[in-house]
Amino acid sequence: MRFTATPARIEPVTSGTLIREARLRAGLSQGELSERSGKDRAQIARWERDVVQPSFETLRDLVRACRFDLELALVPYEADRQQDTRLRKTLERSPQERVQAMLRARRR
Amino acid sequence: MAGRDDVFDPIAVLQALGRHRVTYIVVGGLGRVIHGSDELTDGIDIVPSTGEENLRRLGLALDDLDARRSDGKRLALEQDLVRQPVLELRTDAGELKIVREPEGTRGYDDLRRAATREPLGHGVRPSVASLGDHARMLAALDREQDREPLYTLRHLIELERELTRGRSIER
Repeated sequence: MRFTATPARIEPVTSGTLIREARLRAGLSQGELSERSGKDRAQIARWERDVVQPSFETLRDLVRACRFDLELALVPYEADRQQDTRLRKTLERSPQERVQAMLRARRR
Repeated sequence: MAGRDDVFDPIAVLQALGRHRVTYIVVGGLGRVIHGSDELTDGIDIVPSTGEENLRRLGLALDDLDARRSDGKRLALEQDLVRQPVLELRTDAGELKIVREPEGTRGYDDLRRAATREPLGHGVRPSVASLGDHARMLAALDREQDREPLYTLRHLIELERELTRGRSIER
């Protein structure tokens, strides 16, 4: 059985969303996935929250433990350049400046 | 004092929470903005620790802010939080939503592990839910209106990773 994330809802996908969606579709708790995969439950929780990222091999093992598989293909990639530029600028600001900029924009 | 619809002073809300040493995590639109999302928001959403003492402190902070329920009913914080997943309030400094357990999470204790303190000036340094947790909450809500912010969050997660990788290479 192949596992395909629903792109409209979770695009762009992260390893955390893949693990979580596979686990939930399989009806497993994090503890059950831990037993099936032999990985630590707390580590699975961290992967799912995207706090840290598993290796590709670990990601595949986890998805397979949920009885799914990853279907991968190389396709041309085109970034959303406008948003990319905008967000990069925002990230150069401090959190304080981001909030102030939002409040200024809101008043306009 | 009647809260005007256009008033939004998140720093005033956070200062009131800080004065009474309330333990909470910022989530929602303001949390996403703090992380770099370029959206506009009209209010502040918080997930408080639900310990008895903390709710007492939160009650004092809400008194300072002259908080009242958006539906006009009398505010009874502890009971309302048990009955309603999201408590919508109006305050002198704008809208405040108190969320006991945001969708896709198990509440304060779940979110606090990855939350970070973010300096916002005026001595305010709230705990803010992580980018990953913000994405998790929006994905769990599964609403059409959240598609764009969710896409932005995913983009921010990628950029953050790219910047982190860049910084480690520079070292």
